[in-house]
Amino acid sequence: MNFWKSLFETDKNPTKGEALHFKIFELFVVIFVLKYAWQWGPYIQQIGEVVLPLGIAQYVDVSFMFEHNISLINAGLISIFALFGFFRVLPKYSYLITLGLFHLHYVSRFSLGEISHGSNFIGTSLLALALALFFFNDDPVRRQRFTMGFIFFFFGLGYTSAAVSKLIGTGLTWPSGEHLWLWIAERSVDVSSSTGSFTPNAIQEWVLEYKFLGTLSLAFGLIAEFFGFLFWFDKTRPYIATALIAMHFGVYFTMNIMFDVYIYELLIIGYPWARLIDQYLDLDKNPILAKTYDWSVKFA
Amino acid sequence: MERRNSLTKSIKITLVTLIIYGLLVATHLGEFWPFSIYPMFSQAGNPWKRAIVQEINRAEIDSLWKTTDKNGLPGKTVALNELNVNTNDIANYLSKTEVWTPKKQSGVRKLLQKKLLKQSNLLVYQARGSLSDNDEPKLEFVPYFYFSADTTISNPDLRTE
Repeated sequence: MNFWKSLFETDKNPTKGEALHFKIFELFVVIFVLKYAWQWGPYIQQIGEVVLPLGIAQYVDVSFMFEHNISLINAGLISIFALFGFFRVLPKYSYLITLGLFHLHYVSRFSLGEISHGSNFIGTSLLALALALFFFNDDPVRRQRFTMGFIFFFFGLGYTSAAVSKLIGTGLTWPSGEHLWLWIAERSVDVSSSTGSFTPNAIQEWVLEYKFLGTLSLAFGLIAEFFGFLFWFDKTRPYIATALIAMHFGVYFTMNIMFDVYIYELLIIGYPWARLIDQYLDLDKNPILAKTYDWSVKFA
Repeated sequence: MERRNSLTKSIKITLVTLIIYGLLVATHLGEFWPFSIYPMFSQAGNPWKRAIVQEINRAEIDSLWKTTDKNGLPGKTVALNELNVNTNDIANYLSKTEVWTPKKQSGVRKLLQKKLLKQSNLLVYQARGSLSDNDEPKLEFVPYFYFSADTTISNPDLRTE
């Protein structure tokens, strides 16, 4: 029971910093929902055929999304309902509807065979907000506590699950340096194909020269992911967030894959910003902060 | 009391979501967005297949169906970002399609439409990578399709309908 109490912070008194931080986090989620909606909307119009049906696409033929700008209409609807959710119009249902439409958008965009995980954390955060507004509609503080606890739980689980998948898929030899060589070769093709050329960076050259550097890099990533469940605990959260951010930068420097949204989200939720706001910012004295706080309470 | 009720409710919602999460990923090969078992990079050292598109001139058409290494690729590599096409989509399209029906072939054409409208001659390759016996990466490029504004020719080795 103590684990859940600490996860959902039910014994803590609400603070101004917490309310402000929560609304900033919610704004971040909504901005990325809009970004994906309008990035994928036009892209879906270029698709001609479902190659790999994911999610709901296994039961419904989503090829209707590929023509007549239907995906752009869907992007518009996602935007409207996401903004409704943010400004608490139809609060109980708006994020749930956004989530359903966003799922349809995702399975249409990734119907060509790629399984992208770039938007999964934004999707999980949207789900948390949707459930919070549905089940705790009348209590902003409980809603905030539930949202963050839910996200900490499923983010931690997700990273640990990624490490376990590697141990099951390959075994303890997963971090061998030659595996990173093969991935760098794979990425050299991808980067050439995307941009027309590929030149390895200094870190990639070192890894290709010294196999043990590749092994060290992969071992660090595997260990950081495995301990993802430390996200569940208040005291260890900043440390594991830092390790995971370092891991994501490692993936970027060795394999040219930038999980930028993961890094932003870890930065926003991995550190005790609410406590720091309460401690170091006087929300009553600074007119801009005071206004922002009032606004965040109005749409809490 | 109210705090306790709220805690119980939060736990229940989280656990029910966890069960639904588990059921969905267990019955949908590990993926039901936004739920996932996050299996990326779990198969280390396994061979992979990607894609690359080369813009060629008419003189290079004779060498159409030759499997080659990176240095032997004819023409100039097309930067797919400039066409707003993600290379993963073409790579997966090639690797996950077993029988190349006319509709599947036109699906690849549709992705490259912006380039074909400019009268380009394109050769779509599948890149195949694996570790050699001495653990060095080795790459080969297998041509799949030749596209021009009004022509589609597939590699005779592909299964077509």
